[in-house]
Amino acid sequence: MGEIFSIIIAAILTDNVVLNQSIGICPFLGVSKKTSSAVGMGLAVTFVIAISSVVCWMLYEFVLAPLAIEYLQTIIFILIIACLVQILDIVLKKFAPTLYNSLGIYLALITTNCAVLGTANAVITNGYNLLYTFIYGTSIGLGFMMALVLMAGIRERQERTIIAKPFRGFAIALVTAGIMALAFMGLAGMFA
Amino acid sequence: MFFDKYIVPVLIILAVAALFAFLLAFLGEKLKVEKDPIIDQIRENLCGANCGGCGYAGCDGFAQALYEGKADINKCNPTSVENKQKIAQLLGKVVEIDEPTVAVVHCNGVNSKIKANYVGYKDCKAAASVGGGRACSTACLGYGSCKSVCTQDAISIVNGVSVIDKTKCGSCGSCINECPYALIGRVPKSAKVYVACSNKCKGKEVIAACQNGCIACGLCEKNCPSGAITLKGNLAQIDYAKCNGCMVCVSKCPKKCIKEL
Repeated sequence: MGEIFSIIIAAILTDNVVLNQSIGICPFLGVSKKTSSAVGMGLAVTFVIAISSVVCWMLYEFVLAPLAIEYLQTIIFILIIACLVQILDIVLKKFAPTLYNSLGIYLALITTNCAVLGTANAVITNGYNLLYTFIYGTSIGLGFMMALVLMAGIRERQERTIIAKPFRGFAIALVTAGIMALAFMGLAGMFA
Repeated sequence: MFFDKYIVPVLIILAVAALFAFLLAFLGEKLKVEKDPIIDQIRENLCGANCGGCGYAGCDGFAQALYEGKADINKCNPTSVENKQKIAQLLGKVVEIDEPTVAVVHCNGVNSKIKANYVGYKDCKAAASVGGGRACSTACLGYGSCKSVCTQDAISIVNGVSVIDKTKCGSCGSCINECPYALIGRVPKSAKVYVACSNKCKGKEVIAACQNGCIACGLCEKNCPSGAITLKGNLAQIDYAKCNGCMVCVSKCPKKCIKEL
């Protein structure tokens, strides 16, 4: 139980996918202009990471590892993630059109999101079992969503403030992301 | 050994890919979402340029929005008038269809005098942010920012000025937003003439900056038999609803800045 708790805390706070591991930066800057779309993207990523890390784990444990062809990991994971996103797209469109519409274009964008591949790889490197993999994947997704929503909140407030001309737009977004990452580094001492 | 080392990995990847391919094909067929065939028919009648000029994500998005009654068919410029009428019929609506337009560059450019030598990035926005280097403050810089966003390959840089090929232009408007000096505008496709200048300064300043600038002398306004030209903000403006294409303005303009399109 204690280990599960520490996996969740680590994935969300001390080892946050965007702010500590620096992966998945593209949607972090691209889809963080409005809180509503940040929540949509965050949910979609959580959903995909949780499912894809479990499927990738199973394929690794039951196919790649017994045959000693672990070096195929990256290419097979990419294949799985791309197909999985497409399957999710089809399934959601049919069975949950409201969810599908609220996720909108973000679902397709996740295909090439490196946070998804990064999590699938991290699960293998950390040597988790199936339950831990699922919990880790979900927590990473939640951590991603949290970072995205926080960033969107800050950027929404920045819209209404006067910013020096050279800093407007992406410049101030990058500076903000840097300061947020610094703040999250402070949390790294939680387990020390 | 050879089999284990080289063939098995290939087979595994193929197997996984085939599995997912069958799964996708099966699910795609099994879980097909019923769509009104009218949407597909609308889509077929749209020109398919996918330029995004309508504000939707490509022609598919526009067809969907048209079907839902959220979009106006006139938002699409490249689609021909006949096809727009067909779409209006499909939607069961009476729509007044505007005349198709094309984009033109309102600048002669080549004859604008050089004020400073710009050596930075070959990009209009970068050049414009430091003044552009031309004596005229609204001269086409010819670094091709508009060319780089054109999806129809209609813009070329001729002698340092962008020229839009009106047979290729779909009037999506990407270049209009790209030009830092807002030199590009839309004119009706049937237009015979256009004003090749955007300088709103007084005549004396224009003469100092460019040989081909509109000096607001008013000769075109006086000589136009159909009264289609008016001077507005030191610049000739053509009302295409009145213009009959007689070309009198082209021959009368002392600065040759009203040109045949």
